[in-house]
Amino acid sequence: MVTTPATSGLSLGLSAIRHGYTLGRDFTAVIGGVTLNIAAGEFVALLGPSGCGKSTLLRLIAGLEAPHEGEILADGLPVAGPHPDRILMFQDPTLYPWRTVRQNVSLSQDISGKKDAAAVDDIISLVGLSGFERAWPHQLSGGMAQRAALARALINHPKLLLLDEPLGKLDALTRLTMQTELHRLWKERGFTAVMVTHDVEEALFLATRIVTLSARPARIVSDIQVDLPFHRHRDDPQVLQLRRDILTRLGHRDDW
Amino acid sequence: MSGTDISLTDRIGTRHPDAGITRRHPAILPWLPGPVWLADALVTWRWPDADDFPDTTLLAILFAVTGIALLTAAATGVLTKRAPWATALGSGFGAWEIAQAKLLSLPRPFFGTPQDLLDVFITDWHRLGDSLLHSLGLLAAGYTVGSLAGIATGIGLGRSKRFRYWVHPVLRAIGPLPPVALLPLTFVLIPSSWLAGEALMALASGFPAAILTWSGIAAVDPAYYDVARTMGARERFLTLRVALPAAMPQIFVGLFMGLGASFAMLIIAEMLGVKAGLGFYMQWAQGWAAYPNMYAALIVMSLMCTGLITLLFRLRDRILVWQKDGLKW
Ligand SMILES: Nc1ncnc2c1ncn2[C@@H]1O[C@H](COP(=O)(O)OP(=O)(O)OP(=O)(O)O)[C@@H](O)[C@H]1O
Ligand SMILES: [Mg+2]
Repeated sequence: MVTTPATSGLSLGLSAIRHGYTLGRDFTAVIGGVTLNIAAGEFVALLGPSGCGKSTLLRLIAGLEAPHEGEILADGLPVAGPHPDRILMFQDPTLYPWRTVRQNVSLSQDISGKKDAAAVDDIISLVGLSGFERAWPHQLSGGMAQRAALARALINHPKLLLLDEPLGKLDALTRLTMQTELHRLWKERGFTAVMVTHDVEEALFLATRIVTLSARPARIVSDIQVDLPFHRHRDDPQVLQLRRDILTRLGHRDDW
Repeated sequence: MSGTDISLTDRIGTRHPDAGITRRHPAILPWLPGPVWLADALVTWRWPDADDFPDTTLLAILFAVTGIALLTAAATGVLTKRAPWATALGSGFGAWEIAQAKLLSLPRPFFGTPQDLLDVFITDWHRLGDSLLHSLGLLAAGYTVGSLAGIATGIGLGRSKRFRYWVHPVLRAIGPLPPVALLPLTFVLIPSSWLAGEALMALASGFPAAILTWSGIAAVDPAYYDVARTMGARERFLTLRVALPAAMPQIFVGLFMGLGASFAMLIIAEMLGVKAGLGFYMQWAQGWAAYPNMYAALIVMSLMCTGLITLLFRLRDRILVWQKDGLKW
């Protein structure tokens, strides 16, 4: 176990964000006015139909793209570009195939020039990849690659972790383990988390707040505080009630 | 060249795809090549030559030494997979010796005997060696400069719009032109024939390196850049530590193509302008109808080319260890 001091997360303020893409001659509005305030240390789950603009929203918050309209504030300061305090973990692990697991995990140290071998060891053992430091990415299973990507994101203690369906491609059992792990890390470190997911149960298991988005262009449909204590059980009647509630808002009232 | 088999290696598993095959050879096979070479020695020594050839006894001794070495290798178990090739080579030399030195069945002087070839190496090794060194020097300098410039150009094309705007048309105009076409002009413009040869070889190796570096960089998954950017990476890191390694497999394709083009350019330049090197030696040998010398130069040239290709493969295997598998040279 690592004994790192719990870093406090940062707060986010999104005001009237609009964004879109030009494909050929057509302009497609993707984000249609999103206003959202997230306090430091919250764990927000973003739900919405496929293609509605969830990944786009995370890219905007990470600073990889600038919104056409509106402003994003991180700890009160405008987001002008990417910053190591705000790490985005992508839908795919996107490990660099020419780097070993260890080199992948320590990527941000190579970028900043601040080497800390002990921190790399710690985070690798934290995600359970000890013994695989020298493996190449193509030698990892999907779940291991995802855990390496998580370690790479966590290594320099981001204040905001943006997760784009981080567990989407894992098998059901690995998923459960990783959910527990994510929850523990968030508890321990106290970063702010925004996680896109398609899985309502996953959101209910991890999040303090669940925001649902409409179909493209994305707007906020509902914003639900989940006030249940953690170690929530999947068959808890309150959890089931919330689940039905959210599915209804997503337009799946009649589906089981 | 002989003995270069192309097979895929599996880097994770240690098992070679051919692993099971060796065992199926009958155990006598390793013992075959030794006697064949010894038979060559005996034929060379005892069967009178059809004409007055040099070095017949020395050749017989060389055959015998090879035969004994092969027998030793068989006894110590070193000779296994290469036994069929050693046998074939020995049979080939034997057939050549009988057909030409003993029966004189092919027209001279175009076809020499094994002892003619041996004689060239004995009497002219100094000039052959000098030519080889000269060729190597010319090639190494031109190829290195050309490849590095090509990779740099490719990076510029892949990463900078402005660079692409100005350089791409130039590349399109000059690149596809066979460098040979520039040879007369180059030798006129550049007074030093050595420098002119350098320039041509640099051109020959630079173009494929530039194009493949560019295409490699263009094909890099944009997500790779995003990963580094979200961690605060700047342009320098994105280019040198993300784009370049990601494009490395393609770059090596360009380097191999460039090496082949440089070989061609080297020999042509030496034949037509640079009055030294293996190409020049061959030209000279042809002019004097010294055919055994030509064969000898060809052999040296082939050894040089395959040696350099092997070196490049070694380098690639080191740099691209992370690749799942690759062609084995
Ligand atoms: N670089 C781009 N250029 C053009 N259009 C884009 C680009 N990126 C995203 N889009 C469009 O924006 C819309 C939203 O994409 P986004 O990836 O944000 O969806 P998403 O909600 O993450 O979907 P999913 O749940 O399937 O991952 C899509 O219609 C997509 O076609
Ligand atoms: Mg997405």
